[in-house]
Amino acid sequence: MTLTAEWRLRPRLRRRELALLIVASLALVAGSASLALTRRYVAGEPLTGGPGLPLANGTALAIYIGGLLTAHGILVLTGRRTDQILLPTVGLLGGISLLLMERLPQDLAGGLGLGTTQLVWLIGSIAVITAIAALVRSDAWLRLYKYTWAAFGVGLLLLTFVAGREINGQRLTLVIGPLSGQPSELLKVILVVFLAGYLSENRALLVEQSTRLGPFRLPPLPYLAPMVAMWAIALSIVVVQRDLGAALLLFAVFLILLYVTTARLSFVVLGLVAFVAGGAVLYQVAPHVRTRIDIWIDPFAASLGAGYQVVQALHAFARGGILGTGLGAGLPDVGGLPPGGIPALHTDFPFAALGEELGLIGVLAILGLYLVVIERGLRIAASAVDDFRAILAAGLSLVIGVQAFIIAAGNLKLIPLTGITLPFISYGGSSLLTNGLVVGLLIALSDRGAEPPPPPTASRGVRRLMDRGAP
Amino acid sequence: MDGVVLSIWILRLLFLALLYAFLWAVVRVLLRDLRAAAHEPGAELGRLAVVASPGGEPAPGDAFSLDAVTTLGRDVNNTIVIDDEFASGNHAVLTYRGRAWYIEDLGSTNGTFVNGSPVDGIAPVAFGDELQLGNVRLRLERARR
Repeated sequence: MTLTAEWRLRPRLRRRELALLIVASLALVAGSASLALTRRYVAGEPLTGGPGLPLANGTALAIYIGGLLTAHGILVLTGRRTDQILLPTVGLLGGISLLLMERLPQDLAGGLGLGTTQLVWLIGSIAVITAIAALVRSDAWLRLYKYTWAAFGVGLLLLTFVAGREINGQRLTLVIGPLSGQPSELLKVILVVFLAGYLSENRALLVEQSTRLGPFRLPPLPYLAPMVAMWAIALSIVVVQRDLGAALLLFAVFLILLYVTTARLSFVVLGLVAFVAGGAVLYQVAPHVRTRIDIWIDPFAASLGAGYQVVQALHAFARGGILGTGLGAGLPDVGGLPPGGIPALHTDFPFAALGEELGLIGVLAILGLYLVVIERGLRIAASAVDDFRAILAAGLSLVIGVQAFIIAAGNLKLIPLTGITLPFISYGGSSLLTNGLVVGLLIALSDRGAEPPPPPTASRGVRRLMDRGAP
Repeated sequence: MDGVVLSIWILRLLFLALLYAFLWAVVRVLLRDLRAAAHEPGAELGRLAVVASPGGEPAPGDAFSLDAVTTLGRDVNNTIVIDDEFASGNHAVLTYRGRAWYIEDLGSTNGTFVNGSPVDGIAPVAFGDELQLGNVRLRLERARR
């Protein structure tokens, strides 16, 4: 990674980014005002007290918008021709998250309060995006060390298996000294980096040669091993960590990237069959998997027990209707659980809370923002110079998209509920920082003027093909 | 309905409207971007960038837009003329067959190399791979879209 290639500052205006940031900031100010007025109205306080526009915690919002504009300023100063859409889009998602966290009971997170803690993590996330988008000019440090990254990822996973702290029956959190985090968030990025390296190197082989098994065309047998390993890792995460969400995310991203690289549907079909078979066995063996699926099929069977969260989320969506109740007027209280409250709302059910307060219209707009992130990622992939960058960009944007789908669909009872975060909206540091890493990399990858990829060495796969002669 | 409730309603709807204003602005940019990409002349299948060329023909730094069949060699009738003393008249042919690129050596005197390995007959080439014909080195890149 050449961090300090040359420090000639050549500022280049980013007009689209600035315009979009201004629209996003206006939307956030309107949202904050709406939240403040609704709160005062509900509490019966006088509405016109204080000077100027009433805002719900205007300082936090000002710091956040200031952070976004600083990031914009730094990107202007570095003067790279990079994507101008991702920062405002992600900034708007983060701002909505800030409004939501201001609005929830503040005692959910330690001393600082929910809203302030989330503000700190959001600023951290913007800092990560800016640093990577401004400084990363070469991808050699990702491309050349793919097996090192894979080993690091597996090591992280094993460490969580052994030393992870169990919270709510899920062994997800790793605590090292004063730091604690959820490694599965970082694992998804490492997986995409490894797969991009592995698949781009062996693409010719995976496409051209295949072992036939009945109607299916399998990849050549030696190259099946990593895929079986992936399947085993996904299932072991379900068994040991009891983390269905991460397993689903990792396996879905793996299958999508396999399809992106080879354009062979049979690989995907085969992977899905293997996953469903594994899931069916786990349904019989593992009680926590069975509970999740039973809740999904009929949450009302245990509406005050295991199905409570899902039932309350469905009620929240129903209360919201088309236009929503308005920010601050919903019932998403968390700690004391009044009728209508949803446990773990700030991490697992922010989508349901937004569905209640912003209604169908608001939720569709938020899904639209995620679609924009995916579209930008796939466009960056389509215009990348080589396969590694293309697969990396596609994988990174789809990680965010698939994760948003898994948790939003889980909230809506479209698929079984899994505890995973809604990117840029859920409360939590690990999630915000790794998603910042993903978006920062996407922006850096969109620079076509960056250093050309390092000359490749002949891979073993291609040499094998050459030895065998013409296909 | 009193003024307070009315103003709360206006602010709520304003927030939702601004969310859609943002989406509309983004979609306009995206559409313009997509149209520009669609109107680019000639849908190229790939590009061949010149990495090193001691003879100056082709010029280092140039990039050629590729069709499905590209012939390479010293003869002036080739698609890409390689003016190098170690290149043969009809040196090699680069073809795109459905899903992947292939380089075929046409019996050249000094051979064709992919990432340093000699090509025996025909060999697959991936985006990012380097071809060497004589002293000239070329890199296959994805099409600009």
